This record gives sequence, structure tokens and C-alpha cells, in this order.
Amino acid sequence: MSGFSRRSLLHASGLAFLALAARRLAALGRPLRFDGVPWKVQQVLKQLFGEREIREGHVQLDVPTVAADGRVVPVMVESDLPMSGASFVRAVHVLVDNNPDIHLAEFRFTPEIGQAFVSTRIKMRMTSPVRAIVETSDGALWGTAADVRVTVNGCG
Amino acid sequence: MSREIGAARVLVPAGIRRGDVIDVRALVEHPMHTGLFRDPEGHPIAAHFINDVSVTYGDHEVAHFVWTSGLSRDPFVEFSLRADREAELRFIWKDNRDGVFQQSVDIRFVA
Repeated sequence: MSGFSRRSLLHASGLAFLALAARRLAALGRPLRFDGVPWKVQQVLKQLFGEREIREGHVQLDVPTVAADGRVVPVMVESDLPMSGASFVRAVHVLVDNNPDIHLAEFRFTPEIGQAFVSTRIKMRMTSPVRAIVETSDGALWGTAADVRVTVNGCG
Repeated sequence: MSREIGAARVLVPAGIRRGDVIDVRALVEHPMHTGLFRDPEGHPIAAHFINDVSVTYGDHEVAHFVWTSGLSRDPFVEFSLRADREAELRFIWKDNRDGVFQQSVDIRFVA
């Protein structure tokens, strides 16, 4: 499976990441803007997190820009937040705006995990934003999103 | 089609040393039917998917996943684990029709 490919992918994306770093630094800690978020997604977020603010930063989401097969779309979420007993990533949420189940998966972790990282494969019905939201032990929320263009419907 | 639902694999790297943060990979064979589609004869295919995954390391639950039918068929997951003791790492997958599937691997350190 994909241990090596993950590392090489991370390596390859290093340069692009550097290029984005300055912009990301500027964005860090800013509340995520939800102007463009569909109402149905806002409802799901409200159900999950109430009125808690989701901020930008500390989450890296790796998804393909174009998915040739919507039945199998690789998703990787990683966070640089600590995984110690005092403070840790309690959950990683994956949401897909245009899927029948918007809140697609929740990965709950404990400090014994050592590093906040999860990789999986999901179905996508159509082109959609994919959102990754990380929830820490003290209730803070960090999120990011990326658009995935789907060329073959994946919910079959 | 002869598919064995629930056949599962859990993989950890070789040569683990105490304190390593290792990659854990797990896959269970499962159709992950959404319930939204029909078979070639036109009959609806009922929803059938893994919705709950528990991962225990020794006697602690270290991770717990809540899934929907939005995970791909034969759902795969990879995550990290701090290998700080020699113990069994066990996965228990449950589906929406009371199916329960298990697989485990022993975490052992190299001498």
C-alpha cells in the first residue's frame, strides 16, 4: 500500500508548500470564512460544533485536484498540533459538500497515537469541496478545504 | 461473485523499536453499499457498510472511527501509533447489519 508514496508525495509537494507558506502564515489563526459555504454544509457544521469558531491553520489536507474515479479518492489529513496528554487532537472530521452524507467520517484519536495523521479513500458523487476539520482536546477547531474535480461519479 | 466480507489485514512495519511512531494500515473487505443504487436486474441494493471501527492497543482504546457509506469499498485506513509497549493491536469493525469483523497484530520490539 502507500507508505512510501505518501512520503514521496509529501516531498514532491514540499516546494509548492514553501511557495504557499507566506500566504498561509498570513492566514494562520484567522477565522474561516463561511460566506461561500452552502447552507446545508453550514447546518452540518452547526450540528457538529455548535457556534464554535473554526480557524485556519494547523491542518494539511492532501487530495487530488482531479479524481478520475470518484469511487476511490485518496484523502490524507495531517496536523502539526501536539499529541501529548495535556493537549492533543481529539478528532479529525472529513466533510464532502456534495455527497449524500456530508459528514463522511470522523476519526477519534488519543495521545497514544503520537502524531495526528490519517489517510483513507473515499467516494465522491460529483465535483465538490472536501473539508478537513481538526478538533483538539480543549475544544479548539482548525480547518481547511480543497476542491476535487470528479470526472466519474463515485457513489455507484 | 465470491467475496469474503470481513476478511481483514492489519499491517505494521518490521523492526519496531520502543518509542517509534509507526504507520498502521488496515483494510477490511466490505462492499460499503450506500443503498442508493440498483443491481443489474434493477433490484435496489440495500445499504450495507462499516459504520464503527475500534482500535485497541493492549487494554486501551487508542482510536475510534465513525464512518458512513462514503468510505470506498474495502475501506482502508492508515494512521500513526506510538509503539511504547509490546502488546496486541486489535481492530474491530462493525457494520450497519450487526456484522462484526476483527483482526489483530502483535507489536513486538526488535532485540
